[in-house]
Amino acid sequence: MAYIYLDHAASTPMRPEVRAAMQAVEEEAPGNPSSPHRAGREARARLDEARSRVGRTLGVEPGSVFFVRGGTESDNLAVLGWARARRRAGLTPHLFHSTIEHSAVAGAALEVAREGCRVQTFPVSPEGRVNLDQGEDAATDSPGGLISCIWVSHECGLILPIDQVVGWARPRGYRVHVDGVQGVGRLDHGSILPEVDLFSLSARKLGGPRGMGILVVRQGTEIHPGLFGGGQEGGLRPGTEDVAGAVGTAVALELAATSREAEEVRLGELLETLEDRLRLAIPDLVIHGAEGPRTPHILNLGIPGLPQDLLPGALDLAGVGVSAGSACRSGTTGPSPALSALYGPDHAAAVAPVRISLGWNTRAAQVEEAAQIIIRTVEEVRRAFG
Amino acid sequence: MGTNRILVAMSGGVDSSVTAALLKEAGHEVVGVTMKTFCYQETPSHGRTCCGLDGILDARRVADALGMPHYVFDVEEEFTRDVIDDFVTEYARGRTPNPCVRCNANTKFGDLLRRGRALGCDGIATGHYVRSDRTADGRARLLRGLDRDKDQSYFLWGLPSELLPLLHFPLGSLTKPQVRERARELELVTAEKPESQEICFVPTGDYRDLLRKRLEPRHPALEPGPIRHVDGQVVGEHTGYAGFTVGQRKGLGGGFAEPHFVISVEPETRTVVVGPREALEARRVRVDDLNWFHGPPEPGEEVAVQLRHRAPEVAARVVELSGGELEVELAVPQSAVTPGQSCAVFRGEELVGGGRIRRL
Repeated sequence: MAYIYLDHAASTPMRPEVRAAMQAVEEEAPGNPSSPHRAGREARARLDEARSRVGRTLGVEPGSVFFVRGGTESDNLAVLGWARARRRAGLTPHLFHSTIEHSAVAGAALEVAREGCRVQTFPVSPEGRVNLDQGEDAATDSPGGLISCIWVSHECGLILPIDQVVGWARPRGYRVHVDGVQGVGRLDHGSILPEVDLFSLSARKLGGPRGMGILVVRQGTEIHPGLFGGGQEGGLRPGTEDVAGAVGTAVALELAATSREAEEVRLGELLETLEDRLRLAIPDLVIHGAEGPRTPHILNLGIPGLPQDLLPGALDLAGVGVSAGSACRSGTTGPSPALSALYGPDHAAAVAPVRISLGWNTRAAQVEEAAQIIIRTVEEVRRAFG
Repeated sequence: MGTNRILVAMSGGVDSSVTAALLKEAGHEVVGVTMKTFCYQETPSHGRTCCGLDGILDARRVADALGMPHYVFDVEEEFTRDVIDDFVTEYARGRTPNPCVRCNANTKFGDLLRRGRALGCDGIATGHYVRSDRTADGRARLLRGLDRDKDQSYFLWGLPSELLPLLHFPLGSLTKPQVRERARELELVTAEKPESQEICFVPTGDYRDLLRKRLEPRHPALEPGPIRHVDGQVVGEHTGYAGFTVGQRKGLGGGFAEPHFVISVEPETRTVVVGPREALEARRVRVDDLNWFHGPPEPGEEVAVQLRHRAPEVAARVVELSGGELEVELAVPQSAVTPGQSCAVFRGEELVGGGRIRRL
């Protein structure tokens, strides 16, 4: 039996079209885009084109598209860059973010707090509602903060109401940053991008190259670079540009956007089938995120009565690759902070989370087989551990 | 014995790395597991991570190189309950705990094997320098490691006896230099890694910090008290009896004609009792919290006991065995028999069990 990979929220295999486009860049345009000679011009043309294509796909000005190194760097640059720009202007900025952010935002928030920023979090309900009341005082004291909100939870697929966040931010003069890593290519981004100031995405979660990301910075948004050097990417992210990476990102994003509507239906059906099978066989199964709107590619299970981290290993040995949550958590202990924030720490500690995530090359037969393996493995693990 | 899938507890050190490699070579299906036990908070200001996370990453690298799966299991809750809490309680009671014994008895073999069974493993291996075998009648035994410098049987007396048939110790008949040599031949990234000496959850070496964090404020164990000479005279004041262990010489202040040592710690009166070297000697040892693999020794039986790690074993006679306590008489009096430390009991090479030393 072939191994079934269902961890696309951690890394989605590269699409063949992306690989072909990147290889063409390496063969045809190996120069440095900053060089004035012909090879440099060729590389620069490819880079400019990639930027335009990304801008077109996202519906933003090409000048607001910055290529960076992955989703974490994008989130970090948005949060830290904004906070540092505000501090430069002599202000004590207020950062307001949700309790279920990815560690790329939560970690950057800790850092800006250390640097003297006022940082607050707002709660999210299991239904996907946000309560922004706690930000009121800070917004009154020092208007002009930043609200940062994840669009789609990387852990349970819950979709957050970005329109509501924007609606809160505008009258208070707040900038809005959205971590769109799990949302882009899976949901329609058309209504979100025109409304926000900073938007982060990762190429790898779209079937693009590893280590590539984008930060969209709406013109006029205060932001200070994190690196200094040759002035590339408008000075915001210096360093010789990865032209093949930028082109690969543009192609992956286009493919994800054009197939999005069909994929939303296809993946949604696969996930529903999987969920039905599992619910039937595991009566006490919890589905995290089920109370609210959910992305079609992430299913987060909670299996009561088992240790936090046992099932991904057992499933791996049985031939299915899934995760316990975010893949970036090897350095921490205890239950998932996001699930703790959504459902309370007692619940998060009492269930073993399993995140299943589908992607462009997931087939129906794989999902069917995975359902059987998951059901069997949960039974075996429970028998052995019980 | 054909075992089909074995869990290897990998700390990220050279011993457990070679353990995994040897089992793999022997044709077993091997699954590497590293326990997350505590802290692991990243400390970016220092540019590196503390203690355990480096171990996890090294173990993962070795497993990758050997082509075997590797998982990390979070046993923080169990480890805190069974090892750290006990460590703190023991010091608060004026005793000197053996956290490695507790970890082996509860966490490393117990909790890990429970998880291993859920992964379809029917055996567990570690890099301890001890041997396991079966007698002709099928009884599983633990024997001292062949490398007497490294022998770690002292730490294993607390294992539940039903686990014995499931244990694999491939390093038991090797010496440490041989293990390093194998690691170099296999080009394992951990080949030159130094030995870890300190207690894993006290990376700074100062366990009193941990006690301050985990005991309630103004706990008597951390409050000043008298230093009393064995002759009854109070000779000074200490800053908390939890900082003292039997046999310790440091921190007693000077003023004695001959070297003085901690003879005992009396938590009831917060007293640290000191005296000359002769006062440290004990001929009888009382032990509780007993565990026997195949039943206790007989009263009157001649056995050998080991009273601390790396100490030579001492011939002893079982004087009394009742009410969950053992008393042995040592053939030769021993210095600094320390309450809280382990008394491992041997018949020849065989570890038959043991317990915790208590105050006479």
